[in-house]
Amino acid sequence: MQPQGEVKTIFQKSGQERSDAILRRESKLALGGQRTQLIHSRGAEPPPHAGTDVLTRGPARPKTGRAPEQVARRIVRPMALSAVLHQAFLLAVLFLRASQSEVLGESFQLTPAGLTVSLQPKLQQVNLQWTAAGLTHQEVNGVFQIEISRIKKSNIIWVENYNATVKQNQTLHWHWKSDIPLECVTHFVRIRAMVDDVRYPPQSSWSSWSPWREVREHVSVKPDTLLIYPEKKLFEEGSNVTICLMYGQNMNNVSCKLQEEPIHGEQLDSHVSLMKLNNVAFLSSTGTNINCQVMRGTKKTFGDVLFVSKVLEEPKNFSCETQDFKTLKCSWEPGVDTALAWSQQHSQSYTLYESFSGRRELSNHRNSHNWQITEKSQETYNFTLTTENNLRKRSVNLIFNLTHRVHPKAPQDVTIETISATKANMTWKVQTYGDKYTLLCQVELQHEGEVIYEHNVSVHMSANQLLSDLEPDTKYKARVRCAGANRFWKWSDWAQETFSTPEAAPSQPLDVWRQVWPENGTNAVALFWKPLSNSQANGKIKFYNIVVENQDKPTKPEHYSIRAPSTVIKLNLDRRPYKINITANNSAGASPESVMVISNDSGHEEVWEKRIHGTKDGFRISWEPVSGDALGYVVDWCEHSRGQYCNLQWEKLGPNITSTIITSDTFEPGVRYDFRVFELSMQQNARLIERQTGYTQELAPLENPNVEIKNLTSNSFVLSWQNYSSDSQPGFIKGYSVYLKSKELQCHQNWERHLLPGDSVLCIYDINDPEKKTLTVENLQPESLYEFLVTPYNSAGQGPNETFTKVRTTDERSFMLLQIILPMTFCVLLLITLCYWKSQWVKETCFPDIPNPYKSSILSLIKSKKSPHLIMSVKDCIPDILEVINKAEGSKTQCVDSGKLHTEDAPTKSLSMPPEKDSSGPVPCVFFENFTYDQTAFDSVSRGLIPEPLKDIPHQLGLLATPDKLLNVLEKDYMKSLVESPTEETSLIYVSQLASPICGDKDRLATNPSLPVHCSQYKRQMAVPGSLIPPSLKENNSLTSTILLGQDEQ
Amino acid sequence: MQAQLPQRTLLSFALSVLFLSMARATRGCSNSSQQLLSQLQSQANITGDTRSLLEPYVRLQNLNPSTLREGCHRQPAAFPSEDALRALSKPHFLSTVYVTLGRVRHQLGTLRQQFVKTQDFPELERARQNTQGIRNNVYCLARLLHHPLETPEPTQAEPTRPSRPTTTTPSIFQAKIDSCRFLWGYHRFMGSVGRVLREWGDGSSRSRRHSPLRARRKGARRNRPSASSRSPAPRVQVPR
Repeated sequence: MQPQGEVKTIFQKSGQERSDAILRRESKLALGGQRTQLIHSRGAEPPPHAGTDVLTRGPARPKTGRAPEQVARRIVRPMALSAVLHQAFLLAVLFLRASQSEVLGESFQLTPAGLTVSLQPKLQQVNLQWTAAGLTHQEVNGVFQIEISRIKKSNIIWVENYNATVKQNQTLHWHWKSDIPLECVTHFVRIRAMVDDVRYPPQSSWSSWSPWREVREHVSVKPDTLLIYPEKKLFEEGSNVTICLMYGQNMNNVSCKLQEEPIHGEQLDSHVSLMKLNNVAFLSSTGTNINCQVMRGTKKTFGDVLFVSKVLEEPKNFSCETQDFKTLKCSWEPGVDTALAWSQQHSQSYTLYESFSGRRELSNHRNSHNWQITEKSQETYNFTLTTENNLRKRSVNLIFNLTHRVHPKAPQDVTIETISATKANMTWKVQTYGDKYTLLCQVELQHEGEVIYEHNVSVHMSANQLLSDLEPDTKYKARVRCAGANRFWKWSDWAQETFSTPEAAPSQPLDVWRQVWPENGTNAVALFWKPLSNSQANGKIKFYNIVVENQDKPTKPEHYSIRAPSTVIKLNLDRRPYKINITANNSAGASPESVMVISNDSGHEEVWEKRIHGTKDGFRISWEPVSGDALGYVVDWCEHSRGQYCNLQWEKLGPNITSTIITSDTFEPGVRYDFRVFELSMQQNARLIERQTGYTQELAPLENPNVEIKNLTSNSFVLSWQNYSSDSQPGFIKGYSVYLKSKELQCHQNWERHLLPGDSVLCIYDINDPEKKTLTVENLQPESLYEFLVTPYNSAGQGPNETFTKVRTTDERSFMLLQIILPMTFCVLLLITLCYWKSQWVKETCFPDIPNPYKSSILSLIKSKKSPHLIMSVKDCIPDILEVINKAEGSKTQCVDSGKLHTEDAPTKSLSMPPEKDSSGPVPCVFFENFTYDQTAFDSVSRGLIPEPLKDIPHQLGLLATPDKLLNVLEKDYMKSLVESPTEETSLIYVSQLASPICGDKDRLATNPSLPVHCSQYKRQMAVPGSLIPPSLKENNSLTSTILLGQDEQ
Repeated sequence: MQAQLPQRTLLSFALSVLFLSMARATRGCSNSSQQLLSQLQSQANITGDTRSLLEPYVRLQNLNPSTLREGCHRQPAAFPSEDALRALSKPHFLSTVYVTLGRVRHQLGTLRQQFVKTQDFPELERARQNTQGIRNNVYCLARLLHHPLETPEPTQAEPTRPSRPTTTTPSIFQAKIDSCRFLWGYHRFMGSVGRVLREWGDGSSRSRRHSPLRARRKGARRNRPSASSRSPAPRVQVPR
């Protein structure tokens, strides 16, 4: 450490002989001395230029990469002119001194003696001690010049003049710090003195130099060793460090690193090199490692640890205060901790020194200290806070009056007593500081975190504060803090207490409104009321009382009680005037009454509804007063779609108001709201005077109507959407747009035509009447495809774009055909139905069953005779009937093999036909008809058609004279034949059906051989009940031959 | 380094759990030699990991440069080699471990002054406690096997650190290197102890005569151990 109060002085020097310098003392040192440092070059290495030595402060700080000698040499700069002038000035001064000496008395020589040099290697410090020899006076001021050389005596690196007041037998001390570790190089020191006292004659010259004293910390370096210095030396962050390496004999080519950064050295001699580190940084509290490796020789790791301390910071925000006038609590911000590991440096200490009392106390904490007040009379304190570590010391000062630094304790015993629902009394106590000391307390009342009341109270010992204007049934937090009233320093901590005020009866009547509508012959009344706010309710509303009085006839009022939080009640009242009183009740009482009158015609008013347009801010509702003595008006509103069960909202207005703006957070775009304006009479009777409806913002229709197609024809159809509800749309429907699309479409009059890509035409028809929900589309092409879309529109736009519906017109011809086919189809169906109904009859008439030959009675006859011939003879047969169609009887006999029998037996007279004019015309034909099942045969019997031979075989047919008997016999035979025929059916030839006219009609063959003859027919046989045969049909039997003949003639 | 943090945390957790049970065992030794052996093996394996102590030390003392790390490993401090440990009889082995760990514990205590605050190197205090725990288990095992912790003959220690060239007190740099070597030797020693103990468990390289179970059976026929043998403080000499 260099002494304080150094002086920079410039003096002259020439060649090897240095001129004496008179150094002006400007400040005293603690030792009574003052040092002036002179660095110059002399001896064997004279400076290149004679010039001026420079006095510098502190140890020499050679530049990086230069030897100390060179640095010293560089510092001493010749300045020829100034040197000459300076020398002249000094000579003049010496002359004056010599004159003074002669005046004052005899001069004497001051000589340093007993010089002792010691070292502190860790601090790299050289300490000098000496005494002053030849001192004849008690005390004299002298100047001691000290020279330090490095490596060799001639290499002077430091010259300093040290001024001191010298007493007899006094030992003088001086020290010097080397920038190079003392282990590495040898230093030489010498000293001389001179009297510098105005009381004595000036000494003519310096005393002689003391002998050179060699200074060296001797260390032995073994051949295989590398020593690194300084060891365990502490540096401050940002300082420059010179590291010295001492090699053993066998060591060379050494490379070193600071942690991982290579560092380069400068060879001082063969075994010593220096490494300079500038502006070293703090790396870690465990030190920064320097490790060196020897390239050849030993593989040992050599190294050193550089301990770099952070710069000690000045304490900040140093302050002291007291709470009880017994202890001063001083606090400060300590700054960074400069402690280093390996016990190199402890955390910086903090010491408090009070100058008036002279007490000094070391703090046990880094940031605070409690200073006991011992002298109660002391009011003013002057503190010096000093922090110190191994390298540095810093101090801050604080002076204050104790009464100005009072930080009171938080108030105690805070109590709050509620006087009523709106008043409370708060009391508290404070710590007393004597009669003269008063505190100022701040009272704060908070509700839900918000300060609603603040008041300052001057307090000596205890205080109270009335808290008024409180809300009933409300929770509050009251708190208080205090500070010195005379001189504010700091508020104390808050002391707080929470409390609640008791309930009070509700202060305001309920805001009530009603909705009335007819229901089953009565008036349904829904009463709504708005819950009271906390400030109005003054407590928790428990229930609502409703009293209903009939105003027409005095009856006992009806009471209803509704538990909170319900806000609606529905009553059914007959159509008479009623008065309804409603109150809200809490534990403290009831609110003022709200009165509502229901008149006879409430809910039956008919008022025209007006459409209004709202904005996003709400609706502007205006009305015309009806009567001049209205008590006020009520505007209520509801969502249109909710009906009477909506969430009814209302607003009550004064009598002079005829318009208002209704705003609500619940208003939504696209929702229709219905407003009603009521006029309140003086009797609280409400009369509906206005109905309005509207949207805050209309939106485009959300859906298109479902369109039905009616009356589709070949050239027109009708579109209908009667079911479309235009009221439920998010806007007032203004009309409908009908789009019709087709190819080669000719738009009708009043339709708007648009051409579409692909040769399509779009026709648009606007229906500007929202109530018109049908449209006939005409003049269309038959059997053509059309597409249509019906979409509503309002002020916000039209409905959604949906796909078109396709419809195809019908075919015109097919329509006409349809007009014919339909009746025909109907007739056919009728006929089929009839036929089905008469199916049995039709079957018997048109499709008689084919007789089964096996059932024939002939078979039974054959069987009975057991004729070996399969061919039945005519005699064996019993002819049913023989019909002779042709008059030419001769030819007939030839037609059949046994024609004789036929011709003889056949009753010709009954079937005689009129003769034909053309003999060759008619072809004689013979019909054999089996009337086995023909009822007509029996009828013929009565007409004489039954052949005679029947009478010849009475044993068989005698019983068959009547038709019933005949039928019985035949049936019997038939059944018998069914039993007996199977064995003989293969040999049976049925010959009764057909007679070939070709074989027997010779005349005809001769006369007209080329014509094919088709005169013979098989006549269908049907078993038709005789009763069902119409007379005409019976007559046809005779007519048949006529027709056939006629045909043959053709 | 950050990636190692969870591993270290896991390691610390495992050690805590292990030594918690061990601390309970300190109050009263377990009767199961197998359990003790297993615990010792686990403890030796965990403490043999350099991440438990050496790596934090290297980081805090800025010994990360490779040349310095090599210096740590080049010349281990005086710990018995694995071969030397394996050559010892069981009683001698247990005594050696016991005494060596006592020395380690003391040495770890001296490391505290290398830091400003003990909080800067929490692993150090944990390691001291672990060392004491292992010693207790060694003591219990020796008692269970009726092998009093005999005075171990000095094992053939590896060369100690070189003598100071100039001063009697080592430089801080050298002290750092020495401490680093000491910790490295400690981890290596514990690793060796773990392997030798595992061989005990395997019984592969040990004679039947030294079977812990057999020894326990034999011990059951012996007289109860003297008060001195039950004492956790063994009469052993620290190998130098």
